[in-house]
Amino acid sequence: MSTDTVAAQAAHSNQNLTVDPITVQVIGNAMLSIAEEVGSVLRRASYSTNIKERSDCSTALFDAEGRLIAQAEHIPIHMGSMAGAVGRLSGGIPGYENVSITPGDVFITNDPYAGGGTHLPDITMVAPVFYQGEIIGYSANIAHHSDVGGHVAGSNSGDSTTLFMEGLRIPLVKITHQGEVVKDVLDFVLLNSRLPEERYGDLLAQQSSAALGGTRLVELYEKYGAETVEASSKALLDYAERRLRLAVEDVPDGSYSYTDWLDPDGIGKEPIPISVTITVDGGHIALDFEGTGREADVAVNVVRSALEATVFYALKAGLDPEIPANGGFFDSVEITAPEGTILNPRSPAPVAARTDACQRVVDAIFGALAKAAPHRIPAGSHSSITYVNFSGIGDSFYVYPEVIAGGSGARPEADGLDAVQVHITNSSNLPIEALEAEYPLRVEAYELVPDSGGAGTYRGGLAIRRDIRILGEGAEFSAHADRQTSPPEGYAGGQDGTPGRFTVRPGTDTEQVLPGGRVSGVALHSGDIMRVQSPGAGGYGLPLNRDPEAVRLDLADGKITADALKETYGVVLSADGTVDGPATAAAREALRARSHSTDRSTAPKQRMRRKQ
Amino acid sequence: MRIGVDVGGTFTDITALDAQGNFHIGKIPSTPTDQSQALVDGVTSVLTKSGHQPGDVSYLGHGTTVATNTLLELNGSSTALVVTKGFKDVLEIGRQKRPSLYDLFVDKPQVLVPRRLIFEVDERLDFQGNPLRAVNADDLNQLRKNLADTDVDAIAVCFLHSYRDATHEQIVAEKIAEWFPDRYVTRSSVVAPEFREYERMSTTVINAFVGPRMHRYVSRLENRAASAGVAASPKIIQSNGGMVSPTSIVTRPVTTLLSGPSAGVLGAAWVSAASGYKDVITFDMGGTSTDVCLVRDGEATVTSERSIDGYVVRTPSVNVHTVGAGGGSIAKIDEAGALNVGPRSAGAVPGPAAYGKGGQEATVTDANILLGRQNPDQAIGDGLRLDLEAAETVVKKISAGLGSDQQQAALGVLRVANSHMARAVRKVSVDNGDDPRDLALIAYGGAGPLHAVEVAKEVGIRTVLIPPHPGTLCALGLLVSEVRTEILRSCLLSFSDGVTGVREVIEELREAAQSWFEAENVPQGQQLTQFTLEMRYKRQNFELPVEVGGGTINESDTARIAEAFHEVHEKTYGFRHDESELTVVNVKVVASQPVSAPRAASLPSRESGAVAEAETSRREVVFVEGAAETPIYARDLLRAGDVIHGPAVIEQEDSTTSLPPGHRAVVDTYGTLIVEVNL
Repeated sequence: MSTDTVAAQAAHSNQNLTVDPITVQVIGNAMLSIAEEVGSVLRRASYSTNIKERSDCSTALFDAEGRLIAQAEHIPIHMGSMAGAVGRLSGGIPGYENVSITPGDVFITNDPYAGGGTHLPDITMVAPVFYQGEIIGYSANIAHHSDVGGHVAGSNSGDSTTLFMEGLRIPLVKITHQGEVVKDVLDFVLLNSRLPEERYGDLLAQQSSAALGGTRLVELYEKYGAETVEASSKALLDYAERRLRLAVEDVPDGSYSYTDWLDPDGIGKEPIPISVTITVDGGHIALDFEGTGREADVAVNVVRSALEATVFYALKAGLDPEIPANGGFFDSVEITAPEGTILNPRSPAPVAARTDACQRVVDAIFGALAKAAPHRIPAGSHSSITYVNFSGIGDSFYVYPEVIAGGSGARPEADGLDAVQVHITNSSNLPIEALEAEYPLRVEAYELVPDSGGAGTYRGGLAIRRDIRILGEGAEFSAHADRQTSPPEGYAGGQDGTPGRFTVRPGTDTEQVLPGGRVSGVALHSGDIMRVQSPGAGGYGLPLNRDPEAVRLDLADGKITADALKETYGVVLSADGTVDGPATAAAREALRARSHSTDRSTAPKQRMRRKQ
Repeated sequence: MRIGVDVGGTFTDITALDAQGNFHIGKIPSTPTDQSQALVDGVTSVLTKSGHQPGDVSYLGHGTTVATNTLLELNGSSTALVVTKGFKDVLEIGRQKRPSLYDLFVDKPQVLVPRRLIFEVDERLDFQGNPLRAVNADDLNQLRKNLADTDVDAIAVCFLHSYRDATHEQIVAEKIAEWFPDRYVTRSSVVAPEFREYERMSTTVINAFVGPRMHRYVSRLENRAASAGVAASPKIIQSNGGMVSPTSIVTRPVTTLLSGPSAGVLGAAWVSAASGYKDVITFDMGGTSTDVCLVRDGEATVTSERSIDGYVVRTPSVNVHTVGAGGGSIAKIDEAGALNVGPRSAGAVPGPAAYGKGGQEATVTDANILLGRQNPDQAIGDGLRLDLEAAETVVKKISAGLGSDQQQAALGVLRVANSHMARAVRKVSVDNGDDPRDLALIAYGGAGPLHAVEVAKEVGIRTVLIPPHPGTLCALGLLVSEVRTEILRSCLLSFSDGVTGVREVIEELREAAQSWFEAENVPQGQQLTQFTLEMRYKRQNFELPVEVGGGTINESDTARIAEAFHEVHEKTYGFRHDESELTVVNVKVVASQPVSAPRAASLPSRESGAVAEAETSRREVVFVEGAAETPIYARDLLRAGDVIHGPAVIEQEDSTTSLPPGHRAVVDTYGTLIVEVNL
């Protein structure tokens, strides 16, 4: 978003001073209520578990200029990610000037390059809303579809090398014309999915939800009058912009740079740098991703709308969690990424598994912000989408996908959280009892990994280990995961968390550690155990400053080993198991002396990566 | 005489309904250290005042917050947990979600059992309940040593797949009870025998955590009631609205955890049904929050899982949606200039500024008082008067921030609070696929009737009901509810493979229901059992209920049951898959002792004169439409058939009703105010 846009916004918002803050709140709540209602309709009417049960969808209202006003319960990666499609209808984007829009139309798209999407399974629908013959806004929704074709079931693999392997590309076209479903388009989409019946239900649910949002918005206009609603919408945008500005003003002026690393993409052998320079000038914030690695050969690329959603998440979490997620916030952030990099890929670079790179973008932004405002930012989190997929032949062919959580980074005054999803995702796991009933698999262990959280004054969150035993022949394991090469970083002298790892047949003669997080088609036999271990998280502050009592409890709870207690934390226990104060002080003194002669850690560290 | 007693944080409410259908109401301060003391004292005083004897009490229904408070305050028993080897961290991992999407400084709720008190047993069942590894003697010896080394008061046992076969859990739990007879022992196959290990384990551990305290409470309650000579043995309400004996509660105290709001919903459903409204949204506005719940065809909607402060509880409970807006909600202008109301609350201390206990921030109640909607001259106990000056001072801060006058600021606070509540009312209806405009709103709780008409107007609801005693509706709910429980078993059986497996589970549950009837002393002729199959299409992740009646089922019933499932699926989700395979996930039995619904006596109509006779005074009240010299009516002087036109305020001891200009209220034969909302 250019500075010109920001200036135009400011000029625009000065025109509306006619509505009182109370009406703004009341109308804001009414808009949110509409978004929630149409979200409920979408979930109830859809077919697929992913939308219905996991609520992998978002609904929103936009104003006539295409700015997001209200979005219901969102997944961070969906934040503002309908704006790309809406923007192509509301104007200002070359090539879309002459789209014909009539009342009762609903548009569909999923294309990351031509439609403003983030990856193909996320299908967006937009209903332009008319009132007294004019377009007054847009009702939009986005939903993650379980299959839109492409070279693997689920249309979401990490190893595609071009967008054309990832599924059907739907440009911005009408799925409903003047209230009638355009059957030609619908049939076209359905034929390209492995699960057409499910798609049929989900798509109809999306289009009726979008249309209902329009009806409700018109009702709101009729109740309050166009001027009041529009003035309130603008006031809501202004409010978000002011909140962001106030939060940014708290950050000292300056430029802050940081680089974190994505594991090698599987084709290339080198870790991929994700670099950001954040420039704060008064209340203005700009993020420049210059220095980021070039476009990847596999599906970890991040298109514009995915990058924006990620930046919005990171700023909201890092600066002020209460900033409303609306256009006033989004339009006030300046984001640049050089073309041809992993954060500004060119069509048809593959994008399906964009989330790993998005997670690393958050880490880089947090790393930079930590230099400016260390008290607000935790140490590095596991920040991996540890996506694993078992398939094989049971009663019938099965596919079991799962995303495993890990540790979250230690905070400046508290430990990190064990075993949680972080940043742009918050998806749940499948219950073990459900998994075993459904697939020929048995979980032998599902537990925290001792010492996986980076040691520190505050300890990083622990990783998860899940051992899965294969019960039938012909099974295969595929995965895309990150943080197996570069670990989650400790801050302010805290140690790194442990990286993730996949191990076949652990503890046997034929044990094999897989070479990285992006693998496909690993053959497994009946009786084999596949061990999936996610990354831990970084610690905060020097381990020798950790409260010895907290260390003792960590040992009693099995969260650290006796080795770590002694060697890393320098804690000595008496025979009765309590902390031996004087002996601990002496042990810590000795460890400090030893580390002074060898260590030079400053935080947050900016380290050189060992080349492979 | 049927009596209901609701124990609240500050007051204990007693409502009694005598054989003639007359209500007798009492209110005394609660006794937090032993809730049963106020309960028995209150019952005794209502009996005395109404000229009844303890021997006249045929039914004593009671709602207790002992378990709820124990969990909220985290002061339950030191608890140990015994699990299947390899699964120590089921609770810590949970569903692996973080507690706040954006706030990096929010912690997960602390697991109730520290990891060092979680012990593993090397046993294992497969998903069909077949043993893969039996419980071995060495492990038991080690477990005994480990537990002996701890000083826990409660021990929970939860093994994988125990919902299919409880044998391993039973062996271990019985051993533990034998080793440590003074410790409270509970197992998941008794507490929540449902599949999904995290939810089952969480529920079982909470049961252990609150168990010993609940046990002590219930013993005191029974003793006190008996020594006061109360004829009926007390019944306690569960989260699903069913009443059970103290004995059942000692086994599963976790079933009371969310019972607080359920009694009010039942009372509201009963009042509404009497007045001819069976599809309503209940609206209970208290000091810190507002609870709303959808009632369809006279029955409160129920959900099978809730979480309380982040702790997941898998027991059926009335499906209440809570929003952080109540009388004590704080209004504040943030630094970016927005007026926020709630979710922060001034609570009981310091409370609203007008209460003169040091409240420094404007609350919804302060706004209601300054606008004259609540009587500014009312006494607030001990002869104290409201501190209007304090209320003005705090509301001035808001008006300064808004650049408006004091009235506009106070009105603004109410409008923002109302818009939060309107959103909640819409949510509970649209989430169920209902249009709120087709429903009525029934308002209760101290503050509900002050806000209900404006909230209804905002949502587009045409009818608002105000029950005769809005402040004590929970106690009423406790006396009209029936003895009832639900017992559930997960089975995950394919319905296409025939009904034999399902039939076996039904028969098991029938036996369980039978033992329950005996424990509750339900006479033979009054035992009602209703079975429900919770079914889904294969590979779906969610279940829908199909009622199959009280008898057994046969192969010849399959087509009928399948069709019933397809129909409920279509009704709920808008489509059906006739070709898909069906799975029976759970079988549930509802065992109850139906009561013939007690009836209230009707309110006489006015023999002569007009509604003006109920008018006690006038004062200036400010509505959104403007200020008006407004008649104040005394609720107890109203008679059936009276019609009141807004603007009006109707006052009674436990609540105040605000009727803005343009709306009309009619008093029906049960004394309920039926407000016709002018949209």
